[in-house]
Amino acid sequence: MAEVTNEAELLKEKANKFFKEKDYENAIKYYTEALELNPSNAIYYSNRSLAYLRTECYGYALADATKALEADKNYIKGYYRRATSNMALGKFKAALKDYETVVKVRPNDKDARMKWQECNKIVKQKAFERAIASDDKKKSVVDSLDIESMSTFSVLPFILNSTCADFAALQVNNKFVLNVIVVAAIEDDYVGPKLEDGKVTLQFMKDMMNWFKDQKKLHRKCAYQILVQVKDVLSKLPSLVEITIKETEKLTICGDTHGQYYDLLNIFELNGLPSETNPYLFNGDFVDRGSFSVEVILTLFGFKLLYPDHFHLLRGNHETDNMNQMYGFEGEVKAKYTAQMFQLFSEVFQWLPLAQCINSKVLVMHGGLFSEDGVTLEDLRKIDRNRQPPDSGPMCDLLWSDPQPRNGRSISKRGVSCQFGPDVTQRFLEQNKLDYIVRSHEVKSEGYEVTHSEKVITVFSAPNYCDQMGNKGAYIHLRGSDLKPEFHQFTAVPHPNVKPMAYANTLMQLGMM
Amino acid sequence: MAARQPFTDTDTADEAVRATCDDATICKRFATSKGYWKDSCLQYFVRNVGERKAPEINRGYYARVKGVNLLLDAFLRKTECQCQVINLGAGLDTTFWRLKEQNLLPKKFFEVDFPTVVARKIHYIKTKPPLSKPIIDMHSADSLLLEPHVLDSDRYCIIGADLRDISNLDDKLKKFQLNTELPTLFLAECVLVYMNPSQSCNLVHWAAETFHTAMFINYEQVNMSDRFGQVMVENLQRRQCSLAGVEACQSLDSQKERFLAAGWEQANALDMMTVYSILPQDDVARIEQLEFLDERELLQQLLQHYCICWATKDKLNLGLSQLAF
Repeated sequence: MAEVTNEAELLKEKANKFFKEKDYENAIKYYTEALELNPSNAIYYSNRSLAYLRTECYGYALADATKALEADKNYIKGYYRRATSNMALGKFKAALKDYETVVKVRPNDKDARMKWQECNKIVKQKAFERAIASDDKKKSVVDSLDIESMSTFSVLPFILNSTCADFAALQVNNKFVLNVIVVAAIEDDYVGPKLEDGKVTLQFMKDMMNWFKDQKKLHRKCAYQILVQVKDVLSKLPSLVEITIKETEKLTICGDTHGQYYDLLNIFELNGLPSETNPYLFNGDFVDRGSFSVEVILTLFGFKLLYPDHFHLLRGNHETDNMNQMYGFEGEVKAKYTAQMFQLFSEVFQWLPLAQCINSKVLVMHGGLFSEDGVTLEDLRKIDRNRQPPDSGPMCDLLWSDPQPRNGRSISKRGVSCQFGPDVTQRFLEQNKLDYIVRSHEVKSEGYEVTHSEKVITVFSAPNYCDQMGNKGAYIHLRGSDLKPEFHQFTAVPHPNVKPMAYANTLMQLGMM
Repeated sequence: MAARQPFTDTDTADEAVRATCDDATICKRFATSKGYWKDSCLQYFVRNVGERKAPEINRGYYARVKGVNLLLDAFLRKTECQCQVINLGAGLDTTFWRLKEQNLLPKKFFEVDFPTVVARKIHYIKTKPPLSKPIIDMHSADSLLLEPHVLDSDRYCIIGADLRDISNLDDKLKKFQLNTELPTLFLAECVLVYMNPSQSCNLVHWAAETFHTAMFINYEQVNMSDRFGQVMVENLQRRQCSLAGVEACQSLDSQKERFLAAGWEQANALDMMTVYSILPQDDVARIEQLEFLDERELLQQLLQHYCICWATKDKLNLGLSQLAF
């Protein structure tokens, strides 16, 4: 028996050598011979599986990986091989299960975790594609997710220490409750800001903003409290929010902020902190590209909770999964917190309203007007927004379109939605008895731009966008008395030098190109 | 034991410049992992794909790699590989292996960089058979010359040297069989900009003086006198990296002028936005599908501030001045 084992081992060594030299045909040949002598050797199956992977024989690779695990269900490489084979075959959910197994057994293995995360991304992406492919608007990304694949895996299981009000919120968030939110006390060594009795207060906001300014992290419990509460608040809003500014009141409208936290603090320096007498509307694109998206969004959400009727947030095209995956927010949340928290951000973003109408005269949205005529305010009210935006239609246009100088409509330079001309604007405003629209979405060197005979205003509040553009930022004052926009410009302020990581999508590092 | 030299500002600046080789390699590693172009050697220099880069960066590197390779390959074909290539400030570049695989190797391929960078590259080569095997294949003797800061073989030579010390550079290259009679191509990617104008002028002038038939391809910043340029210079200063040679990067004309003034016969320059639009468009269409770009402003601004400048002199009348995109 020993001789046979020896001989099999020699054949394996021979095969390994061929493998190293990339002669996979021969490697497979000799692994096969080794297996003939020793048919229940997990390592031989696993090695042959890898050789098959290299020669793109994914079916055989999968079969071998499975056999390896049948021979030894504790052979970790077997799970890896099977996961890789499944990935190659496009069976991502199956692959995810195997990566999950590896991570459970090896919780400190960074490579395993990374592979799990990457695979999970793909699974989500596929789910998104399925969601938008179907006509069923009710399907949201979360519904399509395989809850099981998320439920037992948690990097940091934790518990929300909630009050009764929070529990109500938790129960409404069915999906979220299923995603293993178990309450945990805050560790004793956290000395940062905490909600007072589970509520956001002005003192908390001030403390949190200073904490962030010093590049410190808010405890995940507080972040979760804010997210759960703001999700509840947002979900009760209509897709088209209607407000009135009284004669003596003024509203400040800001455009894209894109994770530029220090520039956001500067806006509050210049224009005052939000309050009942100093209301704000932030017009989307709060995250991505800038390195401090987490700080920006938690600050904005905090103020929403503190002044729900005087602090307004609209959804931008960057409050979506696809954009967050590519332009840094998802990476930043995962680095600072967990993938699970990103999932909750995603759910909260889906509840952000899409447009705001002020005094029935001024309409605000992140992108612009529509690919087709005849859209009414009533249509906007009726949009079922708790989803990722479809790739066409009014919800998509609200987040993606741009104005153009010439009449009519054109294909968008962005590849999504459209560009709309002054005549389109005119017709829309007339039909809906509005005076003008305010939108954002496009960087402007002066921070704002007035077009379409003053009927389309663009405001952009991320100065020196991406540390590259050198543009000014701007915000608008809108007084209830005359509803005439008053523009205020500002320039970028310095920010800490964040190590160039994925989420620091500032193009600073481009100097090296 | 030698007395410890004080760590000067130049040392810090040099260190920062050396670090740019990692930036480039890491960005290329990510871009290739996404499928922008193929490079099977990068994985031996950077194991992990690493964190995500913005799509603008991936497209920017794509334009750079494709653009430079287009001109490089054109030169190799024009000279039927009876030539030399000298890659100045090569870092962890993988061109040698690409040319070997495509049967486009020049008679000898030289690379020069700071000794510490070269030492790292040699270490990777020594320890990774997929890197060393192709070099050994092209070498007639049993073993290569492998010193801490030098690798020499029949077809591939990597030298550790300071590009600001021309006589030392000249000595070293000649020691390793540099042939001044052969048509020679110089490559410099984001290299000259880190030297002051007189240092880069000396280098460019030496190249023109030493070779009668040659081409110099320079990829680096351009149009730097605007707000973008200002912002970039400030950003880099915060990383202790100074663009000492930014003066020549004012415009396409200033880039051409530095070559013409240093003895090159002809010079051409295009910004990368233009290059991007004249690269083979079916492949450009393919890479644009790889990642969705939500807005074009950043990419355009970026590409307009980098250029490829190529200068020629052609005593052998090979038609080098016609080489173009």
